[in-house]
Amino acid sequence: MANHDDASEKQDETRTGTTEPRKKASFALPVIKGLANTLAHVLRREPNTIHYPEEKRTPYPGYRGEHRLKRDELGREKCTACFLCATACPAFCIEIVAEEAPWDDREKRPRIFNIDMMRCIYCGMCEEACPCDAIELTPIYNIPSRTRGEKIYDKEKLLSL
Amino acid sequence: MARGDTPMTRWLLNGQEVENPTGMTIMEAAREHGVDIPDFCYHPGLSIAGNCRICMVESNRSPKPIIACSERIADGLEIKTDSDVAVEARNSVMEFQLINHPLDCPVCDKSGECILQDHSYTHGPDRSRFVEDKNIRHTKELGPTISIWGNRCIVCTRCVRFCDEISGTGELCVVERGDRAVVDVFPGIPIDNAMAGNTVDICPVGALISEDFKFEARVWNMDRRDSVCGGCARGCNIEVETLDGYVKRLLPRENLEVNDWWMCDHGRYGWRHLYSENRLTTARTANQELEDDSATSTLADFVSRAKKVAFLIDPFLTCEELSLIHGLSSSIPDSIVGGWLPPKGTAEQFPSGFTISSAKHPNRRGAEKIFGSKVFGKDGKDLLKALDSRKVSTLIAFCGGPAEEGPGSSWSEAIRKARKRIVFSVMDGDWLKGASLVVPATAPLEKEGTWINEDGRLQRARSCWKPGDEPFCPELVRLQQVQMACEIRTRCLSAAGVFRELAENIKAFSQHSHSDLGDGGLPLSRRRARVDSKGGTR
Ligand code: SF4
Ligand code: SF4
Ligand code: SF4
Ligand code: SF4
Ligand code: FES
Repeated sequence: MANHDDASEKQDETRTGTTEPRKKASFALPVIKGLANTLAHVLRREPNTIHYPEEKRTPYPGYRGEHRLKRDELGREKCTACFLCATACPAFCIEIVAEEAPWDDREKRPRIFNIDMMRCIYCGMCEEACPCDAIELTPIYNIPSRTRGEKIYDKEKLLSL
Repeated sequence: MARGDTPMTRWLLNGQEVENPTGMTIMEAAREHGVDIPDFCYHPGLSIAGNCRICMVESNRSPKPIIACSERIADGLEIKTDSDVAVEARNSVMEFQLINHPLDCPVCDKSGECILQDHSYTHGPDRSRFVEDKNIRHTKELGPTISIWGNRCIVCTRCVRFCDEISGTGELCVVERGDRAVVDVFPGIPIDNAMAGNTVDICPVGALISEDFKFEARVWNMDRRDSVCGGCARGCNIEVETLDGYVKRLLPRENLEVNDWWMCDHGRYGWRHLYSENRLTTARTANQELEDDSATSTLADFVSRAKKVAFLIDPFLTCEELSLIHGLSSSIPDSIVGGWLPPKGTAEQFPSGFTISSAKHPNRRGAEKIFGSKVFGKDGKDLLKALDSRKVSTLIAFCGGPAEEGPGSSWSEAIRKARKRIVFSVMDGDWLKGASLVVPATAPLEKEGTWINEDGRLQRARSCWKPGDEPFCPELVRLQQVQMACEIRTRCLSAAGVFRELAENIKAFSQHSHSDLGDGGLPLSRRRARVDSKGGTR
């Protein structure tokens, strides 16, 4: 979470930079500034390219990659099968079937929890909607698979990520 | 002042002078003028309790706000529903109601249709000042089908009044006092009356939960269709709620002519057989399974080649389906028609006037209107005799009931004596062994058409199937396709179209059409006066 805050602060800085009151002055100065920036990159020794997949990039905080379902302190899924993520999801890619939970402190849990990762648009609405903080989008981004079927993640897969 | 003969009262609603029949409550009168006053404990079908106080409005006759559900209008009364006093009163009541409420909407089955949620959204403060621990009340089974989640109960006593006044069984009571008050049953006496399911519907919150529907679906994901229960000849108006074309629950729909606001539990839970293992969904001949289309052509083949056909109809068929059978039988010379009836069940009458009929089928009256009043009597006996003496070569039988043993032993045996038998059946069973053709049939709730209840009221049932995703061809279409193959029909019509033909052919129906029936149906013998746009009747 700390990283996340850093990032948003940085973002804020850049934002305030652009919202300064506009000067009447000419284009010249910004253009020169921009070109200087370009030149600096051209002259830099280090290339920006990384040798994927040997080298992996660490995504910025807040990056929205694959989902996972969280567990509570006792190792049980936190999800209570409330369907709010499925309701919020604009891509209709979450499928839930509820069942009675075997534990005393909880009434309901998901029997089936599937996310169709190919339909998902990684918007993060599900994470936002969840009242139990049970689903989150991880920074995992290297997500190809050989078959379409593999991209439908079930409860076990989501809990293991 | 009078509207017709009713004496009227003039009063002021939000500064506007309005008029209502004398003796009306403020809430009902205001609703007539489109001003909605929130309620929890008020229910039009129950006595007035006035215990939730959410309906408070400002009045010129009282220093304090008054409750609109029990106070009546009076000449010169001035009511404000949106003044600061009224809004403040509602806000405070909402805050009070939510003090001990667990706010477990995410796992509550009422969520999405909960009055507490709605009112909290429109009338409630957006945060709570309550920092103490919430009260815990019991969660337990009250009966075989109903549980109470006490924490959610707002003690409106709707359920208690229902059991006292409507079902007359009085199982429920409020135990404890103050903030510990909660609904319970008396020791050893569970709530198991035949109308118990209604308490779950009228509970404004998710305190009463139906075991049958628990955790099955979130209500906002379901599709709703207005239909009619086929459980008995009463024909209660219902709403069928489905998820992906599968029935999840049935709810009663208000119709003061038939079922008021209620339905019975036999009807409410009487749909599980639709998805049972023994449900028939594929057609077959005596030795092989058939595709749905080839079942129709095989059937058409049988019918067009037959010299003499006997039809055995049942009282589950809609008037439309019966009309198509009538069309077929009258196009085949010498054909005979008889009907079978399921065994009589028990009738029940409740103090509120709600009755459950002993006739456990929806459309005996319709069949009698189309095939004559003797179709289940003498005609049926004649057909049975003809079958027994092996005079029937081709028989087309219908069995739309939930029983796996079909129309009962005497009929099943007789049916076996027909040389070629074609059976439309909802359930699979031993009695179908050796039939030349078995065709899957639609059950009540899956039929599109009209039924006539025991009071002679023509009502429209709608299918729970998802359009375009039907598991098999319904009889309404299949019979028309057979008629087309026999060249007595040129095109396939909707249920409304078939009904139009029926209205042309049979006088009893001539006054009606699907669109005229509306949501609540009409008595077959009387036609609702049509109101034209100018308000006059024609
Ligand atoms: S990230 Fe968006 S699209 Fe993907 S599952 Fe969540 S809500 Fe649906
Ligand atoms: S919103 Fe959260 S708790 Fe609710 S079903 Fe989705 S993951 Fe489970
Ligand atoms: S259980 Fe429901 S209907 Fe009964 S008193 Fe409580 S809130 Fe009212
Ligand atoms: S009384 Fe008859 S029609 Fe009404 S719900 Fe019960 S079974 Fe259905
Ligand atoms: S609705 Fe009036 S007091 Fe409950």
